[in-house]
Amino acid sequence: MRRFFILAACCGLFALLAVAEAEEVPIDFAHDIVPIVRVHCGKCHTGDARQGGFSMNTRSSALAGGDSTTPGFVAGQASQSEIIRRIMSSDPQERMPSEGPALPVESIALLRRWIDTQAPWTEGFAFKGTGYESPLTIRTIELPPAQNGRTHPIDRVVDAYWEKNSIARPRPSDDRTFMRRVTLDLVGLLPPPQRVKAFVEDTNPAKRAVLVREILAQNLDYAEHWMTFWNDLLRNDYSGTGFITGGRRQITTWLHRSLLDNMPYDGFVRHLVSPIDESRGFIDGIVWRGEVNASQIVPIQFAQNISQTFLGINLKCASCHDSFIDRWTLQQTYDLAAIYSNSPLELHRCDKATGSKATPRWLFEEIGRVDPDASPHVRLEQLANLMTSPDNGWLSRTIVNRLWHRLMGRGFVHPVDSMRNRPWNEDLLELLSQHLIEHAWDLKSVLEFIVTSETYAACTPPVFDQAQNADFIFMGPLPKRMTSEQFTDAVWMLTGTAPLKPDAEVVRIKRDKALPALRPIEALWIWSNALAASDPGEKLAFHKQFTLPAAVSHAAVVSTCDNEHTLFLNGKRICAGSEWSVPVGELVTTELVHGTNDVTVVAANGVAGGPAALKVEFHGRLIDGSEFNVHTDDSWEWTTAIPNANGRFPKDHEPGDWKKASVITNQNVWAGASRAFDTRLAGITVDGPMPMVRAVLMKGTSLMAALGRPNRDQVVTSRPVDLTTLEAIQLANEPSLADEFARGSRQILDQHGPQADALLRWMFEASLSRSPTSEETASALEMLGEKPTAESIADCLWAIVMLPEFQLIR
Amino acid sequence: MPLLDVRSITSRREFVQRLAAATTATLLLPEPFSEAGTQESLVVHPVAKADSIIVLWMAGGMAAPDTFDPKKYKPFEVGLAVPDVISTFPSIPTAVDAVRICQGLEEIASVLDRATLIRSHVQPDLGSILHSRHQYHWHTGYVPPQTVACPHIGAWMARVLGPRNPVMPAFINIGQRLEGIGENEEIKAFTTAGFFGSEFGPMNLPFPEEAARAVQPPKGMDPGRFSSRYSFFKKLVRNSPARDYISDYHQESMLRSLDNAHRLLGAKEREAFDITREPNEVLKQYDTGRFGRGCLLARRLVENGARYVEVTTEYIPFVHWDTHDRGHETLTKLKKEIDRPIATLIRDLEIRGLLDRTLVVIASEFSRDMITEGQPGSKAGDQANSPKDFLLLPNHYGQHRHFTGGSTVVMFGGGVKKGFVYGKTADERPCMAVEHPVSVSDLHATLFSAMGMSPKTVFDIEGRPFYATDDGKGKPIDAIFS
Repeated sequence: MRRFFILAACCGLFALLAVAEAEEVPIDFAHDIVPIVRVHCGKCHTGDARQGGFSMNTRSSALAGGDSTTPGFVAGQASQSEIIRRIMSSDPQERMPSEGPALPVESIALLRRWIDTQAPWTEGFAFKGTGYESPLTIRTIELPPAQNGRTHPIDRVVDAYWEKNSIARPRPSDDRTFMRRVTLDLVGLLPPPQRVKAFVEDTNPAKRAVLVREILAQNLDYAEHWMTFWNDLLRNDYSGTGFITGGRRQITTWLHRSLLDNMPYDGFVRHLVSPIDESRGFIDGIVWRGEVNASQIVPIQFAQNISQTFLGINLKCASCHDSFIDRWTLQQTYDLAAIYSNSPLELHRCDKATGSKATPRWLFEEIGRVDPDASPHVRLEQLANLMTSPDNGWLSRTIVNRLWHRLMGRGFVHPVDSMRNRPWNEDLLELLSQHLIEHAWDLKSVLEFIVTSETYAACTPPVFDQAQNADFIFMGPLPKRMTSEQFTDAVWMLTGTAPLKPDAEVVRIKRDKALPALRPIEALWIWSNALAASDPGEKLAFHKQFTLPAAVSHAAVVSTCDNEHTLFLNGKRICAGSEWSVPVGELVTTELVHGTNDVTVVAANGVAGGPAALKVEFHGRLIDGSEFNVHTDDSWEWTTAIPNANGRFPKDHEPGDWKKASVITNQNVWAGASRAFDTRLAGITVDGPMPMVRAVLMKGTSLMAALGRPNRDQVVTSRPVDLTTLEAIQLANEPSLADEFARGSRQILDQHGPQADALLRWMFEASLSRSPTSEETASALEMLGEKPTAESIADCLWAIVMLPEFQLIR
Repeated sequence: MPLLDVRSITSRREFVQRLAAATTATLLLPEPFSEAGTQESLVVHPVAKADSIIVLWMAGGMAAPDTFDPKKYKPFEVGLAVPDVISTFPSIPTAVDAVRICQGLEEIASVLDRATLIRSHVQPDLGSILHSRHQYHWHTGYVPPQTVACPHIGAWMARVLGPRNPVMPAFINIGQRLEGIGENEEIKAFTTAGFFGSEFGPMNLPFPEEAARAVQPPKGMDPGRFSSRYSFFKKLVRNSPARDYISDYHQESMLRSLDNAHRLLGAKEREAFDITREPNEVLKQYDTGRFGRGCLLARRLVENGARYVEVTTEYIPFVHWDTHDRGHETLTKLKKEIDRPIATLIRDLEIRGLLDRTLVVIASEFSRDMITEGQPGSKAGDQANSPKDFLLLPNHYGQHRHFTGGSTVVMFGGGVKKGFVYGKTADERPCMAVEHPVSVSDLHATLFSAMGMSPKTVFDIEGRPFYATDDGKGKPIDAIFS
């Protein structure tokens, strides 16, 4: 009886084999064999498991066999192979797998063919399941006792970890290091020198916590720093593939506003998974022109992107076949995609239709289900609710792990998209996740929680080799290389060469509706003649003197010129612009005086010629509450003499030929600038000067790309860590960067004057948040020369900016 | 010339140390694949037949019947029946008996005895045929879109083989602008090292005559000032109060890159980028235009140790090889631009004893046929179903339609057979490859193998194996090597 059965089974098998051989499809180890081994043998014979001494981790271990001396298989002879004998055995003591159903005949046939064809094995491949998965829901951890008065919960866990691993605690960082690090980490900017000085001198023992609060309250700076992180994660950009054919939409405006408002993370995710119109661009992916692989249709992109970005789950492998490296299946990917899809989805295995259909389901039905019969809109709502349920620990763990990675240089779980890798400390991951949930999903609160720990504030220990593998031991924070955006912002800040207009469509300043509306702009376009006629490159000085009857409580100036101008007030340079459609302005509350005020504008026509004109308006309030307004009109005067760098004429060279300015007859020539002019003045008057336009708001340039800003066709979750040679070449000679140093150094010379030691001190303090040492001073003074020039300043600043101390955030 | 033989290096540590120009080891760069952890990839690389490769990229779809695979020819006349003609140029003899190519390529014909012609290169039918998708496929081995950013084959060679000369960038891309042309985002998507990170990405030199500037001090800075700026920088590094970090890994790697950059910018090899240093008569021999100057630049770079150089006729929609109108006329001009420089490049490499170890490849994203255009859902065979048409206007005389069923790849040097033809296409429409079809994967496997790199080379990206050829399945065409 028993013999008969085997024979029958074998006959069926032979028939199947015959068909397969007739097709002569070679065995594909990765796609044909690996999934079978994973599913049927993996639990007991891969990774750390070696039941009966038998491991299938590598070809040689499988060949070697287990405790018995029988080899696992005989290459070329399936029928002589132990593996085949055991999976086909009808003896329950012998049959593999020892638990669960027998292997399907198709799988047995594949394994036989594989062995018969010499058991090909992908070189270098080894089975090694992570074997790890956290429980779905966050657990409450028990905090170890505080050591040496280090009571912060993070420190309590880390101190216990360090003790267990016999790691010496790194020493605490000094105030300057801490301030530079925390400012760059939280808002992406260099701290201003005067603020560093005040912080260092502050004797309040709680000053670090106070500083963190203050920095996190810089909402715009915060939003525009973290926008880099989210643009990468949400695949958002202002140019790129897909836009040309309308196959892709931005979420820029929504994203910027959400970060500005510090939208709670659960709401943020809800808006992205079950979007409003403005946030749709993320789940709608990129509609590629032409035919695409089944694994790249928009619903599959949806499944891949939401799981990678929010859950740290990689479904990319499982978009073509059951993942070989993880537990996710093709069915799960399609089911998740089906939640989004408007039409039924058919599973495609490696781009070939399988005939089976997907059912809208999500990955963790333990905490709830999506109604497969509901409309896609409702399904997405349900999915968003499930994903953001506090019971879904994947969401909170994934984001806090990413934040820790950004702040500390490496995540608990590494890499950050493989949340089924074991964290180096599970308790810390749970602690932070719980913090996030308990603090109403406030990401700033998590950041504050981390950066107020002593662990964060420790010195970065030097690293002598790259730490990468599973045996990672946390020794303290790792240095982080400045992102492309941080580096670019820092250079723009130091050189004052940021662009005037962002490419991104964002509302950077929120108008406070409670303030009275500004009265209409009264300024008129003026020049030396009413026709705005001007020679190419013509340069004139315009002047106006006015008296204020009281001290000023609040005032601003806005100006613009076709083509360029610099405005001076009472012997001080205030602002300059070179694009007429982009008015520039500043607050001048402290520069305006009770009594006589002098405004001088050096205005120049472009070298290409064309009409020239200038427009300026001061607007403000005096301490008595009255408003005042001074603007360009025919009461202004002009001359061809040009004042010095402070906008003054030397006493004995006062021009004697001031002439009356003319109001341009046709004011509409520059109508394109009038709204910007109005908004600019309103913005400054109400909110202060417009903050620097940051790199994150600009379309990528080749320099930014070279510095690691990714092409955002795909979700990107980490940036390159090392400066490469090609980048270094660009840092040495890229024209736009070289130009920023050249232009910047002329302005620096204007603003700080030619005193070498003062310049040097400013450069070090602004760049490195510290003063130069005496050795540095000596070599830098030699470099700058007795009388620093724009060139020597540019070179000195370039050298400082190239220092690892500058580019690595420690 | 201190060329670095990567193959003799045994340990990863040594590799990192010796490969001065490459800061390969990083925290996040993908590692050679092995689920077991950190050891080296166990892939066995073949013995290299070539040290450098120059890809001459005929962007836009070079029509095989009008270049290297002549078919029946008739000159234009009003009322010419389309079925009666396939080539719009007559064939000419070459240095190889019995091998003919098309008129206008006389110079190349004269060096064809150094070449192997693969006349059966085929591309998949990507539905609505788009240049940038096919170019992406040809340059990365993967059909876009992909879930990860795929590296260009030049980046694969830069990553796996490294630079030949530590001061020279390993991967140099000549002649293609990435801004200001149509489809530039699509071109950028494959002109990249993808997940390898930008260290392995291309040095882009869109204008050969301006290449020298890419390795010069910035405009307005004389060499003296440039070098004193760097000496000052080094002084600051030496005097840094942060002594703890002197041998820190991150710091070391950053300083090494800056040093490499300044070594190139100060090295003699920098002159390799300056084609004006060539004698006037040599310059004239190459200078048929931007592409010709690119060939000269490529030769200078290879002489100085570049690993992978690509020179393109530049892809701009509807320009150069992307002929949708006046094809015959356009190709007459285009051949003048490529013929002499390519032949000169081959002869120059030969004279310098470099041809044996330099693989020169002429290729394009697909071929063309005269009359029909691929429709979404159509198969390659359908693309050349000629309607029963008559030509009335000379500007309709040319290869105006895309064809993926059979194109020609020409290879010189680098161990390929001399005066050899591999594969063939049908003599009548559709001119499909009818013998030894060669896929993009197999062609790449051939190029990689010639360069000493296994087509199964694999890296771990996001925990998944990613191969140099699709799924590691590319098979080199051994038959074309002597």
